[in-house]
Amino acid sequence: MTPPHPFDITIFAAMATAVLPFIAFGLIIIFFRGRDRIAAGISIGAISTALVCALFLLVKHWGLTEPILYTVRWADSGQWTIPIGVLLDPVSLLMLTVVCAISFLVQIYSLGYMAGDPGFSRYYAYMSLFAWAMITLTISPTMLQLYIFWELVGLASYLLIGFWYEKFSASEAGKKAFVMTRVGDVAFLLGLLLVLLHMGNLNILEMNGPAVAGQMPPATLTLAAILIFGGVVGKSAQFPLMTWLPDAMEGPTPVSALLHSATMVAAGVYLFARLFPFFELSPSAMTLFLAIGTITMLMASTMALVARDIKQVWAYSTISQLGFMVMALAAGGYFAGVFHLTTHAGFKALLFLCSGVFIHHFGTNDMFELGQSGGRSLKIPMICMTIAAAALSGLPPFSGFFSKEAIMGALAELDNPVWLWAAFLGAFLTSYYSFRLIFIMLFPRKSDEPDHGIHDDHEHHEGGYWPMAWPLIILAAVTLVLGFGQKGLDHFLMGTMTDAGHHGAEGGHHGWLPFVAVGLCGIGVVVAYLEFGLPGSAQIGFVERMDRVKQFFAERWYIDRFYRWFLDRIIYGGFSRLFTANDRKVIDGGVDGLGRSTVEAGRRLSDLHLGMIQYKLMVLFVTMIFLGLYFFF
Amino acid sequence: MNAMIFAPELYALCMSAVFFGFTLTRPNSRRDFLMALTFAAVGIGVCLTAIPASGDLFRGAYRVDLFSQVFKTLLFMGLFLVICLCSELKGIEERLHSEFYLLLTICTLSMMMLVSSVHLLTLYLALELSSYSLYILVFLRKREDYGVDAGVKYFLIGATASAVMLFGFALIYGAVQTAYLGELLRILPTVLDQPLVIFGLLLTLSGFLFKLAVFPFHFWAPDVYEGAPNQVTAYIASASKVGAIAVLLRLVSLTGGNSEYLAHALAILAIITMTVGNLSAMVQKDLKRLLAYSSVAQAGYILLGILSMNPAGYTSVVFYAAALLLMKFTCFMVVVKVADDGRNLSVDGLAGLHKRSPILAMALMLSLFGLAGIPPTIGFTGKLLIFTAAIEKGYFVLVLIAMINVVISLYYYLLVIKAAYLTEPKEALPDLAISPPVKALAGGLVAAMVVVGIFPTYVIAVARAVARLLLA
Repeated sequence: MTPPHPFDITIFAAMATAVLPFIAFGLIIIFFRGRDRIAAGISIGAISTALVCALFLLVKHWGLTEPILYTVRWADSGQWTIPIGVLLDPVSLLMLTVVCAISFLVQIYSLGYMAGDPGFSRYYAYMSLFAWAMITLTISPTMLQLYIFWELVGLASYLLIGFWYEKFSASEAGKKAFVMTRVGDVAFLLGLLLVLLHMGNLNILEMNGPAVAGQMPPATLTLAAILIFGGVVGKSAQFPLMTWLPDAMEGPTPVSALLHSATMVAAGVYLFARLFPFFELSPSAMTLFLAIGTITMLMASTMALVARDIKQVWAYSTISQLGFMVMALAAGGYFAGVFHLTTHAGFKALLFLCSGVFIHHFGTNDMFELGQSGGRSLKIPMICMTIAAAALSGLPPFSGFFSKEAIMGALAELDNPVWLWAAFLGAFLTSYYSFRLIFIMLFPRKSDEPDHGIHDDHEHHEGGYWPMAWPLIILAAVTLVLGFGQKGLDHFLMGTMTDAGHHGAEGGHHGWLPFVAVGLCGIGVVVAYLEFGLPGSAQIGFVERMDRVKQFFAERWYIDRFYRWFLDRIIYGGFSRLFTANDRKVIDGGVDGLGRSTVEAGRRLSDLHLGMIQYKLMVLFVTMIFLGLYFFF
Repeated sequence: MNAMIFAPELYALCMSAVFFGFTLTRPNSRRDFLMALTFAAVGIGVCLTAIPASGDLFRGAYRVDLFSQVFKTLLFMGLFLVICLCSELKGIEERLHSEFYLLLTICTLSMMMLVSSVHLLTLYLALELSSYSLYILVFLRKREDYGVDAGVKYFLIGATASAVMLFGFALIYGAVQTAYLGELLRILPTVLDQPLVIFGLLLTLSGFLFKLAVFPFHFWAPDVYEGAPNQVTAYIASASKVGAIAVLLRLVSLTGGNSEYLAHALAILAIITMTVGNLSAMVQKDLKRLLAYSSVAQAGYILLGILSMNPAGYTSVVFYAAALLLMKFTCFMVVVKVADDGRNLSVDGLAGLHKRSPILAMALMLSLFGLAGIPPTIGFTGKLLIFTAAIEKGYFVLVLIAMINVVISLYYYLLVIKAAYLTEPKEALPDLAISPPVKALAGGLVAAMVVVGIFPTYVIAVARAVARLLLA
C-alpha cells in the first residue's frame, strides 16, 4: 500500500468532513453568538458539505478491499511519536455516512424545533462540535486520537443534555451523563495504556492485526479487552452504567435523536466494531460481553414496559437495542452488529424526531395525554412513528427486521441456546412495548380532565412544522428500503475482513428463525392490541396489573437507588469523609500548625531578647565557652 | 611614608576636622548638610582614584591593596548615601548636627583604617574608634528613653565583645609570638591543630561578629536599631556591616582555608544566627526592629559564605556585602522618608504607601525581594553565589537549613510588602513630599538592584579580583 498524497481527493474529502464542523463551531462561538440565522446557516452548511463528502467517499470506495491510511506526525515525545490522520475502511466509511446523514437531518429538524429558543446559536455551535467530535472519532487511525474525540463526544453531549441549564434537572442529567460515562472511560484509558505498554503504539490496524496475540500474553490481552470494553459500557449505556441514558432525555428532543442514533451511544458500539478482531482474540472476554449485552437488553426492555413518558420508552428501547448490538458482536456476528447499528440509527432517529413533533406540538411527554390531545391528527408523524416502531419491533419489510434476523442468525450459531432464547424474549418485549405506545396514541380514551393550555402551545409552535416533517419522511423512506440493501452492505463490510470465519447474513442455515422471530413479534403486537387497542379495553398492561413488578420496573430495577445509596454511604459517608477529615486535620492542620508553631517560636525567641542585659552577656560567654570546649576535646 | 596611598584616609580626616570646626560655631543645619554632602561626594571620587594604589605603611602594620581600596570605596559610598538622607535630621537636636556629621565621618575613617589593618593592634584600635563613634551616635536620639537605653546596651555588649577579642589576641600572640597578619598567615596554618590557637582565633573574631550582629553577639541589634536615630540606624545597618565583613574575611582567610574546627564553630553560629533572626523577625511590629532581626539573619547567610573558606565563598561574600549595602540602605531610606518627623515607624505605618509615594513603595518592595532572595534582584544573585560556594565545599545540610530560613524570611518580608501595597490606611494620609533628588536616588537604587541582579558579571569579576588577594 503506497501512502496516499495529502491532496489526494479521498484524503482531502475525509479531512474536509472532519474539519468543517469544527470551523463552523469556532465561527459561531466566536463571531455569531446571538446571530441565529447566520449560526444555523453556517452549521447546516458545514454538515451538508460534510454529508456530500461522506457520500462521495462511500460511493467512490464501494467495494474497498484495503484500508486507506493517511497520518501525519502530530507530536514527538521521547521515543513515542504520536500520529494523527485518517483511516478509511468499510466500517468507518459506513459510520461516517450515517453520522453525517443523521446530523444533517437533525440539524434541519432543529430549525423548526428550536425556533425562538434564546440559546439558538449556542445550540448550533454545540451541534457542530458534536458532529466534529463524532466524525473525527469515526475516522481515527489510532486509539489515542479516537480516545481524544471520544472524550470530546462526551463533552459535547454533556453540553447538549444540559442545554437548558437553567433547569435544575437538566444540568443534573448532563452531569450524570458526563460522570457515569467517565467511569467507563477510566477503564478504557487503563486498557489503552496496557496495550501501549506491550505494543508500543495504538494504531488501530496494528491492534487488529495478527501480531497482537504474539505481543501480549492471553491473560493480559483479556484484561485489556475488558478494560477497553469499559468504555463501551459507559458510552453505550450497558449494564451496569446504563442509568444515565434515560435521564439524558432532559436535553432537547433533537439532541436525544442525535445522541441515541448516530453519535454518543453509537460511539460505544462503533468502538466495539472498530476493534472487533482485537476483542475476538479473547474468547472469555467475548463471553462476558455477550452476558452484559443480554442483561442490558432484557433489563431495559422490562423498564420500557411500564414507562408513561414517550421519550423514556424510546430511551429504554435504545439501551435494549444497544444490548442487541453488543450481543451480536460478542457472538461473532460482525456484520449483524454493524448492520443493526446502521438500521437502528435510522429508525431510532425517526422515533425521536416524531416524538419531538408531538412534544413540541402538545407540550407534554405523557403518551396518554398525547393521545387524548389528538396525537393521531398529526398524520405524517403518526405514520412515520408507526413505521419506525414496526422497524424497531422487527416486523418485515422494515429495516429492523433484516438486521434483527442477522443478529438471531449470529446467536443461533452459538453452542448455548440460552442467548438465542433471551433474544427471542427481548424481541417479544420490544414489539409489545413499542405497540403499546402506538395503540395508546392511536386509540385514546376520553379523559375527564380538561385540556389545559394546550391550544396556546398549538398556536405558538405552528410555524416550524415542515422543516420538522421533511426529515421524518426521508428517514421513513430510508427505514423502508435500507433492509433490502443487506446483501450489498454485507459484501462491502466483509470486504477487508480477511478471516473467512465471520458470519454474515447467514440466516439461511436456520430457515425456521425468521418465522419464529416474526411470530413472536406478531404475538407482541397482538397482545398490545388486545390490551390497549381494542375498543373497551382497559389500557392497562399485564405487567401493570402486578403492582410490585411494575414498581420494580418503573424504579429501573432500583439501580439508581443502589448507586445513590452506594454514593451516599460508601463514597461520601466512608471514603470522602475520611479523606476530607485527613485533608482538614492532617494536611491543613499540619500546614497551619507548622505556620503557627513557627510564628510561636518566633514570639518566644523574640521575647528572650527583651530580657535583662546580664542574661544576654551570660549567653554570650556560655556560648563561647562551649565552642572552646569543642575545640579542646 | 607615601602619603598618596593614604589619601582617602587623609581626606576623611580633613573632613572630620572641618566638622570639628563647625561644632565650635553656631549650629547651622543646612550648612552642615550641604558641606557633608559635598565632602562625601568628592570623597567617593578620591577613593575611586585611589583604587589602584598599593603598598605598606607604618612598618607593615597597614596595607593598601585592591581589597582594602574597594572596601574603602564601598564605605565612602555608604557614608554618602546616609548623608543623602540627612536633609532633615528630625531625630537629633539641631545643635548637635555638626557633632553628628563629625562622628559619622570619624566612624567611616576608622572603618577605612580597619579594612587596611594587618596588625592585631591597629585592628583593635580602628575597631574601638569606630565603635565609640557609634555608641555616641546612638545616644544622640532626641528622645532620651530610647537613646540612652539602646546606647548603654550597645556599649556594654560591645565592651564585652572587645574584651573577649582582646583575650583572643593574647592567646594568639602567646602561641605564635607575632601580631602581623602577614606572618600569621604563614605560621597559623601549621599550628591550627593546637586548640589554643584555634580558640584564640575564634575569640579574635568575636569583636567583628559583634559588629556584624552574629549570635551570641547580636543582642544589641534590636534595641539599638529601634533606639538610634533613623539615619544612624541606616548607617549601622549598611556601612558598618561592610567594614565588619571585610575584617572577618581577612581574619578567617588566615587559616589558609583548611580549618575544619573553625568552620564547624562558625557553621553552628551561622545556623543559630539565621534561625534566631528570621524567627524573631516574624512577630515584630516595629519596622526598624524587624529590619534589625533581618540584619541578624543576613549575617548568618554571610557567615555561611565566609566559612566555606574557598575562593568562590570569599567572592560571594564580597558581592553580598555590596548587595547588602544597597538593599539595607534602600529599606532605611524608606523608613527615614516615611517617618519624616524622626519617629519610629511601625509596619502598619506603611499602609497606603503605594499611593502616597509609588517610587518609595517600589524601592521598598524590590529591596525586600532582594533580601528575601527573589530573582531577578541583586539579593538573589548574591544568595545564589553563597549557596553555590557552600555546596561546592559539600555543606549541603547547611544550605538546606539556609533555604528553609529563606522561606521563613519570606513571611515577614511579604508582610511588610503587604502593608505597603495592600493595606489601606485607616484615615486618608497626604502624599509624601519627596524631593526630586531623593526620587532620583530611589530610582537609581531600584535600577542598580535590578540591573546588577540580571547582569552581575562585572561586579562578580571585581569581587573575584578582591577575593584573590585574601589567599595570596
